[in-house]
Amino acid sequence: METAISLTGVTKTFGRMVAVDNLDLAVPRGGLYGFIGPNGAGKTTSIRMIMSILFPDSGEISILGHPSAMDAKDRIGYLPEERGMYKKMKVQAFLGYVARLKGIDGTGLGQLISESLERVGLPGIERKRCDELSKGMSQKVQFIAATIHKPDLLILDEPFSGLDPVSLRMLRDLILEENARGATILFSTHVMPQAEEICEHVMMVYKGRKVLDEDLAAIRSHYDPRAIQFDPFDPHADTAALASLPQVERIQDKDGSCEILLKEGTDPSEAMRAILEAVPAARIEISRPRLEDVFIQLVADGTSADDEQRLRTEFRSAGGDGATV
Amino acid sequence: MKRILQIAVRDFTAVVVTKGFIIGLLAMPVIMTVLLILGPSIFNDDDFQIEGEYAVVDPTGQVFPEMDAALDGGTIAQRRSEEFQRVLEDAPEMVRALAASAIELERAMEEELGPTPNVRLNQLPPDTDVEAEKAWLNEETDGLRHTALIVIHDDAVEPAGAESEFGAYDLFVPPGLDDRDLDFIHANVREAIISARIARQSLERDTIESILRVPRPSSTTVSADAERRTVTEFSFILPMAFMMLMFVGIMTGGQYMLTSTIEEKSSRVVEVLLSAVSPMQLMAGKLLGSVGVSLVAMGLYLLMGLALLTSLSMFGLLNPWLIFYLLVFFLIGFFVVGSLMLAVGASVNEISEAQSLQMPLMLIVMLPLFLWPAISRNPNSLLATVVSFLPPINSFGMLLRMASTQPPPWWQIWLSIGVGVASVAGALWIASKVFRIGLLMHGKPPNLKTLIRWVRAA
Repeated sequence: METAISLTGVTKTFGRMVAVDNLDLAVPRGGLYGFIGPNGAGKTTSIRMIMSILFPDSGEISILGHPSAMDAKDRIGYLPEERGMYKKMKVQAFLGYVARLKGIDGTGLGQLISESLERVGLPGIERKRCDELSKGMSQKVQFIAATIHKPDLLILDEPFSGLDPVSLRMLRDLILEENARGATILFSTHVMPQAEEICEHVMMVYKGRKVLDEDLAAIRSHYDPRAIQFDPFDPHADTAALASLPQVERIQDKDGSCEILLKEGTDPSEAMRAILEAVPAARIEISRPRLEDVFIQLVADGTSADDEQRLRTEFRSAGGDGATV
Repeated sequence: MKRILQIAVRDFTAVVVTKGFIIGLLAMPVIMTVLLILGPSIFNDDDFQIEGEYAVVDPTGQVFPEMDAALDGGTIAQRRSEEFQRVLEDAPEMVRALAASAIELERAMEEELGPTPNVRLNQLPPDTDVEAEKAWLNEETDGLRHTALIVIHDDAVEPAGAESEFGAYDLFVPPGLDDRDLDFIHANVREAIISARIARQSLERDTIESILRVPRPSSTTVSADAERRTVTEFSFILPMAFMMLMFVGIMTGGQYMLTSTIEEKSSRVVEVLLSAVSPMQLMAGKLLGSVGVSLVAMGLYLLMGLALLTSLSMFGLLNPWLIFYLLVFFLIGFFVVGSLMLAVGASVNEISEAQSLQMPLMLIVMLPLFLWPAISRNPNSLLATVVSFLPPINSFGMLLRMASTQPPPWWQIWLSIGVGVASVAGALWIASKVFRIGLLMHGKPPNLKTLIRWVRAA
């Protein structure tokens, strides 16, 4: 399969700190890939190397068939994590400037900008100064700046951070539209549910190293579904008794329903049969493994209980407002 | 190249079309013009009135009458008129034409020499107790202030012996007396003593003054194709004017470049730009845009200066090649200083942090301003020669020498240009390394040691 992004054995250090350690990545053309990991995992550094903003200490990079993104900058759209605009510039001038730098000719540029603004629900703001825009509006304008030249490859670094739920859904739809147009998309996030909602494939990094690189469907089938969601038919039924079943490790009550964690190596279908025999159910289903569980499971060896809790909190928060896609 | 030009055009227009730039650019010439027009009225001290009562002890009996005559209202008026005529003779044609009418002459004289002095003389007996009389100087008075006790020496008019020197006088004044009062007293006592001595010798003062007077003619500068009145001030001011033009040009563009880089970095827009262009393209575009800003500022001031020279019929005094070399040395100076300022801008997060890194650079660039008089008067001295080959100030140094009365040999000029071009390459190399790393660095600003490490590491 033809790859849009290929990293082979890429390492980057800052002083004594190894930000990216021997990283291999391959994103096929047309793919929608999530690059996930906690803050400080090396996502932004990797993306900056992909964009040729930083250069690796060792390893090889290939972008759209070129050894450097420099050779294909007109075909790449980039929304950096630290987004910015010229405060005093008008929206039209800012988008025009970025578009020209991306190789779009001046003819018809005004029309293109107006159409793009309309597409993201911001018609008529061409004459507004950038510092007059709200955060959500700025985010959309910056998304236009990254996509106005219809790139073949779109790289988005934490695109959802700090967005309200409405803007967040709109941005998700815009990303999916770009992917449907044929653009390869790589986006980074530390909020795992966002990745689960959008991506077809995820790459997890932790402390500069890749810990997972698989399709989402494969991850769900590979990772042992050891939890069962169970709602008793009789709300007053003694669910605690289920703990005595040989397949069950422990039970957690959650707002009237319970999560039953199975012992390692247990066959889930056999366990479900035993549970139904013990307590009639209104609902019983095997929990799909969440990415955060997979991640914690992958890095569990070097992680304390406190660290695990911190990571779980981080994975569920999107820029502090708790919103997810 | 297209992208470099796009960045240059944005940076250029972002500065040049702002009200702040236009106002700032025009502020200096406007302020200077206003000062030239209103300056004499605002700052002149010619309305200072010399007045007071002088007590004179004159044992010779010959000096006081001369002083009395000299300080008579009519005599003073005549002497002021003669003095003003002498001033007028040395003044430019335009000023002489202005002062042609009698009314204008009177007014001009008032402006030039100030109000007529109001002095009263009080002769004391030769045997006055000078020590006791000193108290008079500090007495309260309703009328004229007691401003001088003048004691003429016995031998002030005639020496005590054939081999002896002439005596002089002692002067006692109250506290807080203005130096212009003192100058007036000394000048008048001196004149009175000289007149008394001449009279004592039965000579004619007018004859002696006539013998001593040799008017200094204004010299004429003769060039191959024209002759013109020699203007010595021009050759003194020209080097400074050229250096200031260059300094203003470099600092205008350099400062805007520094602030715009800090703004792009702090607003995080720089990463958006770096997704479209390389750091080198960004740096080149910013340098080009800012050199345009500098050329606008410098060009405007240069045109104003040339227009002024033309209006004073002094344009011919300027060697046109100097303008060519001004441009060459400006470009060298700009790219050396400008690229280092760009590196400073990329290293810091806000303008206040830039000051500590910018200060050493500014001090070095300002060095030629302090050395101007020394280099201008002795353009081929060791100091001047060293400065004209020492980057990053060689551009300033060589331009100062070239605009002086003794320009350096051509090979030195071109050697200095060669040194300048090499220093441009060096500065661009250093700046590009710092620029690339610094742009994405946030947090604590780097110190000199860190900057050196960046240069080595990148």
